[in-house]
Amino acid sequence: MKIIVDNNPIECQEGALLIDVLLDNNIKIPHFCYHQDLGADGNCRMCMVEIKGQKRPQVACDTFVCEGLEVSTNSASINEVKRSILELELLNHPVDCPICDQAGECKLQDYYMDFGLYESHLSTPKTKKSKHIDLGSNVMLDQERCVLCARCTRFTTDITKTGELGIIGRGDQARVAIAPGHPLNNPYAMNVVELCPVGALTSKDFRFQQRVWFLDSAKSICHGCSRGCNIIIDYNETKYTSEKIHRFRARRNNAINHSFLCDYGRLSYKELNEKIIAAPCNMETLKELLQAEKKVALASPSLSLEQLQSIQEFCKNYKIELFSLPYIDESFGDDWLKTNDKSANFAGVKELGISTCQDDFNSSFENAEIVLNFDHALLKQQVFKDKTLVHFTATPCEGEFVFAIANFAHENGTLINCEGVRQEFFGTKYKSDAPRLRELLEELR
Amino acid sequence: MSFAFTQENTIRMASLLNRYAQKKALSLPLLWLAQKQEGYISEEAMQYISEFLELPYMHIYGVATFYTMFRLQKGDKPIIEVCRTLSCELAGSEEIKKYLKENYSERYEIVEVECMGACSGAPMCTLDGKYFENITPEILDEVLNAD
Amino acid sequence: MQTKIVSKNFDIPHAEMLEVALQNGRYGSLEKLSTLKPQELIDLIKQSGLRGKGGGGAPAGVKWQLASDFEGTKYLVVNADESEPGTFKDRQILAKDPHLLIEGIICTCQAIGANISYIYVRGEYEEFSAILQRAIDEAYEKNILGIGSTYKVDITVHRGAGAYICGEKSALLESLEGNRGHPRLKPHSPEPEFYFGEPTLVNNVETIASVPFIVQNGAEAYRAYGTKESPGTLLFAMSGHVENPGVYEAEFGLGMWEYIQKLGGGVKKGKKLKAVIPGGASTPILPAHLVYEAKLDYESLRDLGSALGTGGMIVMDEDVSMVKALKNLLRFYRHESCGQCTPCREGTSWVDKTLDKFIAKTATHEDLEILKSVSRSMNGKTICVFAPAASSVIDGFLKHFESEFLECIV
Repeated sequence: MKIIVDNNPIECQEGALLIDVLLDNNIKIPHFCYHQDLGADGNCRMCMVEIKGQKRPQVACDTFVCEGLEVSTNSASINEVKRSILELELLNHPVDCPICDQAGECKLQDYYMDFGLYESHLSTPKTKKSKHIDLGSNVMLDQERCVLCARCTRFTTDITKTGELGIIGRGDQARVAIAPGHPLNNPYAMNVVELCPVGALTSKDFRFQQRVWFLDSAKSICHGCSRGCNIIIDYNETKYTSEKIHRFRARRNNAINHSFLCDYGRLSYKELNEKIIAAPCNMETLKELLQAEKKVALASPSLSLEQLQSIQEFCKNYKIELFSLPYIDESFGDDWLKTNDKSANFAGVKELGISTCQDDFNSSFENAEIVLNFDHALLKQQVFKDKTLVHFTATPCEGEFVFAIANFAHENGTLINCEGVRQEFFGTKYKSDAPRLRELLEELR
Repeated sequence: MSFAFTQENTIRMASLLNRYAQKKALSLPLLWLAQKQEGYISEEAMQYISEFLELPYMHIYGVATFYTMFRLQKGDKPIIEVCRTLSCELAGSEEIKKYLKENYSERYEIVEVECMGACSGAPMCTLDGKYFENITPEILDEVLNAD
Repeated sequence: MQTKIVSKNFDIPHAEMLEVALQNGRYGSLEKLSTLKPQELIDLIKQSGLRGKGGGGAPAGVKWQLASDFEGTKYLVVNADESEPGTFKDRQILAKDPHLLIEGIICTCQAIGANISYIYVRGEYEEFSAILQRAIDEAYEKNILGIGSTYKVDITVHRGAGAYICGEKSALLESLEGNRGHPRLKPHSPEPEFYFGEPTLVNNVETIASVPFIVQNGAEAYRAYGTKESPGTLLFAMSGHVENPGVYEAEFGLGMWEYIQKLGGGVKKGKKLKAVIPGGASTPILPAHLVYEAKLDYESLRDLGSALGTGGMIVMDEDVSMVKALKNLLRFYRHESCGQCTPCREGTSWVDKTLDKFIAKTATHEDLEILKSVSRSMNGKTICVFAPAASSVIDGFLKHFESEFLECIV
């Protein structure tokens, strides 16, 4: 069925929420409280549209589409309504954009530029509320910047069901808060920072680090467990510093993580910034070592399908027994995103037919003179007297033969998640200090 | 310090449970009960209620801060509430408030409140929740000095 | 001039006691009730033209039908959160004739198929809640209520705790469910209210208290009073500058000024009338010349650009400063806004703060424009009617008394 939006027909499903139809069709519709993964609350009153036949403007987040619906999102009169509501949203806002981390990705700023652009005519004192409140779990709150959209409170009430955040007080004294002595404390807490459309909730981990307009983004997949949550890697390189990754953000995928990430995964970006100091390794020496009779290789189950395939081929050429073992942590998983299998691509390992038998690996390992470790955590911190270990590693690792390789932020590749979903990820635009694994293996052919 | 309802209030709490379809509905009744028992609602009382109702502490705290009659601070004085809304203001509630503040601030906590639904008896105030209507300084002296 | 249907027993000493109540006709409708099927009862209410007496004036029968038709466990919730400034009628019923309310609840429950009823009484009415509770206890003892009674109705008194907004029915239900009193988004098609997801009828105290008369005497007997569109009576209330403030029941359609003069004894101390807020603070103010024209029914007041509301009139004499009066009301709205919707939360506060400048006589022409534009921003853009009500109050004062505001501009 069709509806008419700003004189253009749009195909949509009967009964769908108008705001979803507008968002899915990239039609600008300002909104604070509505969120596609939290649903409608109707409190911000920002998504006002004109509907033919209706006397008053209506909120798109509480309008269901039906055949023949005619909507106007940008007439002069509806823009005036939006302007007036935005003015009220901004009325008691401190307008401290120069010191606000949200600047550059703030909905108040965006909407002001879209249809605000008015002169403030506030001639009375602003309402004062509390600032820099540490809510716990890396989250800081500035109540004066808050528009009370309640996305954060709905997240802790409806999604995590931990209920740490709520609204206290009433009227213009209403504010988001934690109860004294009951901090924000759940494994998904930092999502509220990303959900917050303004600078009220900021991450202690990210704030004051970077202006967001200096960041580049890469579409990637979180490697923290086998869920395969879709992420955006925000990174940059400055004149005086080499490339640094500043944060992970959730990338919306309805089939997997919606718009959410666990804090563990979100903060796992830090590992990608660790410098690997490896002794210079000689390829020739390595080739000599590979002449040995008894060789075994262990590949990380978080490597991409493409990497694993290269390793398989390499091992075949050099007659090396190849294994991969999953990263199991029984205390990690939960009934939402986190899985006990902390490997990003164990399903991929299985698909390629790489042996995952612990016993077979143990006996092969027992007899081996040369052990090749392709970034598997198990062997990184261990020393074996009677064996020579060769590490290809994306994280810091001690040893005689260590080849640093690029981590997944610098790789393109494919992963298969715990539910069998095959997903691609892409690297940043800068070249890593360390070579890519496949380039190294190519040299050893 | 922990909180517990008195035996009498525990019985009340149990009988309240039968009156509602879901436990959550007891949020207000139990906050009232706690306030009646202790004179205010302590953090321990909210903790107790949240555990009893199996609701996040923040839910109880959010509810308690929404309703102006719930007191989250222990006060050391009885409270006189003076209505300040239109009918009372037209009848001179400002003078009543001034009189009370000047003469009774030491013995009572004087607070202004919005319409109490006693407009025909304006100006009015309450003492410990009891309504006093058509008040004058003389009537106040009489009521507040009676023992 | 008074017509005593609901207030018939108000002057009878101890009518709150069951024995006295029974001697004075209470529970007289229950005999008739047993002869009527639920749908017949609903039809009876529809025929009577009974309108909600909490301020909205919606036809009660339509709401009853919606609750009755919806599948599920039915609830009746009586709205006794009377908090509209200038309104103090429901407390008269709670305190002076609680058995009338109980009787009305039994009738209404029978009509919609409910056994469970809550009376949500504003927290401040502690004394009146206690009287009501005693009456309910007596009714249980005498098997008028509860499992041993004919109609097996249970009534629970639920106390609010100081929030005007809980008089809004969906906020009231949120509160009754144990939440903050935030009004809910409105339905897109006619449906009953919902308490914990079950179909629920929410009616004002006086509405329910009017039911026994209709059940006992029939729809025509009720229609004999009032006008065609506004049948029956209302507990009109008067406060402010009148000689005899109070609650006087009268049929709809009387002249407002006649009512104020005859029952209220006219403007206090013989002063001149300046204005009347006709039906609780949320109805737009009427200057004297319109008061003389106004009739006490929904249609007349609507036509004069105001509303009948709760019928609680606030009378103001010639000395009242309209700037101060508006400031008083906006302080109230700012204090009572639930804070959920942006236009209401920010708008009430902005207007209240701006009015301070008028009080201090430091306002500018731009401040007057702010009052007007914020009022526009609050009207028709929120979840509930709180902000539109505040907006209409501001507009009313500015429409009729703008000159007083202009005098405060430097």
